Amino acid sequence: MRCNDVKRVAYFFLDGTLGATRQKDFSKHLNLCPDCEARTTIHRRIRLFLKKRLARLSAPRRLKQRLTRSLRAFAD
Amino acid sequence: MKSAEAYEHEQGWDFEKAAMPYVDSLYNTAYRMTRNSEDAEDLVQETYLKAYKYYDKFEEGTNFKAWLFKIMKNTFINNYRKKKLTPHKIDFSEIEESYERVIQKNAPDLIKDPESEIFQDMMDEDVKRALDSLPHDYKMVVLLADIEGFSYKEIAEILDCPVGTVMSRLYRGRKMLERTLLEYARKYGYIRQGEPAKMRSRKDETKGRKKKEQPEEETEVQEPVENEEEVLFSDDEDAELEIEDPEEEEFRIE
Repeated sequence: MRCNDVKRVAYFFLDGTLGATRQKDFSKHLNLCPDCEARTTIHRRIRLFLKKRLARLSAPRRLKQRLTRSLRAFAD
Repeated sequence: MKSAEAYEHEQGWDFEKAAMPYVDSLYNTAYRMTRNSEDAEDLVQETYLKAYKYYDKFEEGTNFKAWLFKIMKNTFINNYRKKKLTPHKIDFSEIEESYERVIQKNAPDLIKDPESEIFQDMMDEDVKRALDSLPHDYKMVVLLADIEGFSYKEIAEILDCPVGTVMSRLYRGRKMLERTLLEYARKYGYIRQGEPAKMRSRKDETKGRKKKEQPEEETEVQEPVENEEEVLFSDDEDAELEIEDPEEEEFRIE
């Protein structure tokens, strides 16, 4: 795997969906190439950041009450 | 054909109990789609009522959460998107280029201190703005994959498109979002620049420029511009990416 391949598939490597052989090739490349290693680390850290910052909302209590009410009314 | 009500009588299925655990996920995504809480609440409500009504259409053994998301996506398109369906024209080669510029400039500062959050001082408002700057279709795949943890296949089902399209949108959506975040981070000073890192970053810039002159880089910049989707993954690589074993397809987000 070369740097350009690594750039194209880095997100899928992080998803764990490259298939065993290519996951391994990718990791091997990272051990030899500090630039790609840094870039992949940044992708990973940004993903964690987004997961943390964007997952904060939970449904308001009034919505949950409203849903329960309408579902029950709907059933009658 | 059974309604949820009938099902409830027959097998004790309690639609409410089954569906309510997903209300936070649905609301979170609805809020990101509609960008305001009132519309998000209405969207979730409509989704639940439709799901209840059409429960007989749900195939047992398939993913219930994905099914709810699919109903929500369709409801959203019907209700909210009628007026602004103008497709975005995006110049992806420009995005790739500016991404390279911004990441090469900031990489050294971004990888130090891996213990702390990457843009730890960034305001939530800016994160939201960055996400909203994505074209809707790209925003959806990023949310469904990286926030909700759906697999490519599930996303393809929710959005009614091929898996290759999901992957292509994920690649581009994630890249656009990263680029915007990096730009904000630099503009508003969220990237912390220490002295040694500054020295390193100057060296890295030179390295970056040199790299750009290599023919290898040139080919990558020629990424198809107006020709949407698929293109990125339409070569033989696709076959491998499009998953040998469906079980393998699950996201493993660390």
